[in-house]
Amino acid sequence: MPQPRFDRLTERLLHAGIAPRHVRRYERELRDHFDDLVREEKAGGASNELAETRALSRLGHDDALAEAMLSRSELRSLTARFPWAVFGIAPLVFAIASAVAALYLEIWLLHQPGAVFTWWTGQPPGPVTAKLATKVYTAYNMLALYVLPLAFAWLLYWLGSRQRMPAHWIVTGVVVICVLGGFQEVVFYDKGYVGGGVLSFQSGLLYFLPLPKDTWLYSPHPHFGQEIARAGMNLAIAGGFWWVKARGKVSNAMALSQTPT
Amino acid sequence: MPNFMNGVPELLILRTLEAQEMYGYELVQAIRAKTNQAITLGEGVVYPALHALEADGMLKSRRKLVNGRTRVYYALTRKGEKHLAGLVRHWQHITDAVTLAMGGTAYAAATL
Repeated sequence: MPQPRFDRLTERLLHAGIAPRHVRRYERELRDHFDDLVREEKAGGASNELAETRALSRLGHDDALAEAMLSRSELRSLTARFPWAVFGIAPLVFAIASAVAALYLEIWLLHQPGAVFTWWTGQPPGPVTAKLATKVYTAYNMLALYVLPLAFAWLLYWLGSRQRMPAHWIVTGVVVICVLGGFQEVVFYDKGYVGGGVLSFQSGLLYFLPLPKDTWLYSPHPHFGQEIARAGMNLAIAGGFWWVKARGKVSNAMALSQTPT
Repeated sequence: MPNFMNGVPELLILRTLEAQEMYGYELVQAIRAKTNQAITLGEGVVYPALHALEADGMLKSRRKLVNGRTRVYYALTRKGEKHLAGLVRHWQHITDAVTLAMGGTAYAAATL
């Protein structure tokens, strides 16, 4: 049966930049077509082996099947066509957008529950609600700081590996998001009285930019130690994940190379 | 010199799918039958053409369970119908021109 043959064809198409959804569907359609041809040949009296040989011949040579797909530029994925945008610009945009979204969401949260509480009870929020809100914001900030960059790094890895992108593109994207994500800080802390909470966002990387000292983006006391440690931790986790996945791929590739054509 | 076979697979595919939706194997067999086996598309290479036509909005696809197997059925869209009308006109123009030229050649050969 042509299982290994289709595996090689799909690998070739993915490496050449054809979108994975087209490659998967093409493979499935070729398999179904092959089965239909074998059935047809058998119905015409051919033996099992002869039916499969004829079916493969009617289906087309590997090169012809690949070329027919590769000649259609509209079937190439955005990842393959614009890797610099996906692995270079997208992590940067994501890091900025996630920080802005986190700030906006927290500002909204800071105002909204207090207003709802006051409307409902006729009283301003007390220390208990303030403590609860602080815990919620802290948990959310931890999520934004520790989980989101790694989640996006995983997304980039997934996008790149399913398209069989060269490793340097995936590494670029993962490193950019791990470092940017590691250096950004969203912090909320309660000052102990109503309306005394402080919400701040900063990135140690902004320290290196020639920003005027009177802008809110200027960060006079970046927590370099924490931020470098967090970026390093992100990179270590991403690297470990990569290493585990790479080991699995080597095993699969060896199994495929030992399969007869 | 123009390649006269350019667009022929697309024309045949769209024309065949005009009447009813089909999956790949069914489509190839229908084209073979329609053309009295004079034109046989490489059976596997019909799919890239189908994918490209779908990407261009000429076709739409849907999965359908038939006899326990999921098939991808392709059908013509309104844009595909318009495109087909244009292809048919273009092809008619070429065949008219070739017919005329063949008649001219035959006349010239007879008078030599």
